[in-house]
Amino acid sequence: MLRMALPTGRVLKQAEPFLAAAGYTPLESLSATRKLTVPSKCGRVEYLLVKPVDAPLYIEQGVADCGVCGKDVLMESGADLLEPLDLGFARCRMVVAGKPEIERRGDNLLSPVRVASKFPHVAQHHFEKKGVPCTVFKLAGSVEIGAVLGLSHYIVDIVETGTTLKENGLVVHEEIAECSARLAVNRAAWYAKLGEVHELVEQLKQHCQSP
Amino acid sequence: MPERANLSFPQGTELVFGPQASRRQYITDRLAEVMRGWGFSEIVLPGLDSDAAGDETELYHLTDREGRRLALRSDFTRVAAKALALELRRQPRQIGACYEGTVYRFAPSGHGTRVEHTQRGLEWVNARGAIFDAATLLIALECLAACGVQGAVIVIGHAGFVHAALGQGFDRRLLEAIDHKNPTRIAELCRRAGVPAPQAALLTELPLLTGGPEVFTRARALGLPQGAEAALSELEALHQLLAQCGASGLIYDLGEVRRFDYYSGFMFKAYHPQVGEELGGGGRYDRLFDRFGLSVPAVGLGFNIARLADATDENAYAANGQAIRAAGIEALKQAVAQRANGTQIRLEDA
Repeated sequence: MLRMALPTGRVLKQAEPFLAAAGYTPLESLSATRKLTVPSKCGRVEYLLVKPVDAPLYIEQGVADCGVCGKDVLMESGADLLEPLDLGFARCRMVVAGKPEIERRGDNLLSPVRVASKFPHVAQHHFEKKGVPCTVFKLAGSVEIGAVLGLSHYIVDIVETGTTLKENGLVVHEEIAECSARLAVNRAAWYAKLGEVHELVEQLKQHCQSP
Repeated sequence: MPERANLSFPQGTELVFGPQASRRQYITDRLAEVMRGWGFSEIVLPGLDSDAAGDETELYHLTDREGRRLALRSDFTRVAAKALALELRRQPRQIGACYEGTVYRFAPSGHGTRVEHTQRGLEWVNARGAIFDAATLLIALECLAACGVQGAVIVIGHAGFVHAALGQGFDRRLLEAIDHKNPTRIAELCRRAGVPAPQAALLTELPLLTGGPEVFTRARALGLPQGAEAALSELEALHQLLAQCGASGLIYDLGEVRRFDYYSGFMFKAYHPQVGEELGGGGRYDRLFDRFGLSVPAVGLGFNIARLADATDENAYAANGQAIRAAGIEALKQAVAQRANGTQIRLEDA
């Protein structure tokens, strides 16, 4: 039996019907249960319900053989995982956003860019790759306020429709990546449980929504 | 009140005592036996290296009191190759050397990853051809069996296959996508770079070319460039040799790219269903000695002792020995006599 980490919250709402359609219906409703592990009716999978940001670590350490993770969470975690399937749901974009006009230098001509984000690693990596010095602030939520109230010049965040940005007078300056839910697999499980993992990939593949 | 002592150690270092420690020693000894059985000689190698040998992102650097920049050993093969180059310059010949020790590889905190790894491995230099390839894998299988590891799989790939599939001047990001078995990303990168359709189809299929010998047929159906066909034939011949020697639990992964700059021929890794990381691995690296001005075909393998210990319960060293109460000279005499018989004893406070 494969142990599959599922992130509670936004992704789970879409993952549960997706997995059920692919033949991996959980024994009880995953969104309603208070249990931390729930087997599937078919007995091929045991679901492990974890916080989204923790899912990559459980998989990387082999506590779970595989899992469903948002690409945004995978990018931020830096976990060394296999990513054989784009499941196609929970689509969003990881972007650099801020006020339309940004006066970032002020009285310091060499001022580093200030960036607020729930994804500090992604943010830092992005600006470093461009060769732009930056200072990153890690926030836990309502990142937009960072840019609105001047904590930072930019924010790095995921956007779905862009409504929140618009309502706060912010615009997208740059797109970093397109994100969606992915099937992530532990490297050892990919080989040591080859038959089961490949069966899962094949089953899920047939139900993926193409971009 | 005395100040409370700081008893912590740096993250990722190893701290083992009790049954797990004796199991590790048991495993190490079994591996040493197998390697000695195949005619390998022990080699002791330095733990510090003067130049920055190895992957810069995982090296631990230090400076000695005379201002020299040193690095902690992060990989045995590079150190062993340098040491053996010294000996080969003196007298070119075939050498089989085995070693044991610790390597240090930096890993970012928060992932629970170990940075200190105890390994036992071997290097076979001036070992040319398929027989040595097959022998290396058979030794690996014998090592696993000797430690009582059951249900492990050996995953075999070939550096030449992916090199040929990628062609010249490829995007490094493509290599990363292949490594993470991410077909969506491979397809996207191929599209952006204008990779011709048949080559893109092969690259996109790589993540799923994992399995038994049937993957050879599946790969051929995709239409292979010349170099890839040669690599595949080599793997097929290797499979034949191994099958004839009764090897089982073999999986082929044509999309294996980890450290493929290092390997020149077949490469392998061992995995176990209960262990999240590889137990060990190895392969052929015929170009490794080029940097020392020598042309030396070589194969090698190494096992991670801690991960092997996670994959087996076997441990003949777990016994505690016969208790002798340490009361007077008689007890001491009894202890000496028992030891002369080869009996395991445990001297206890009277």
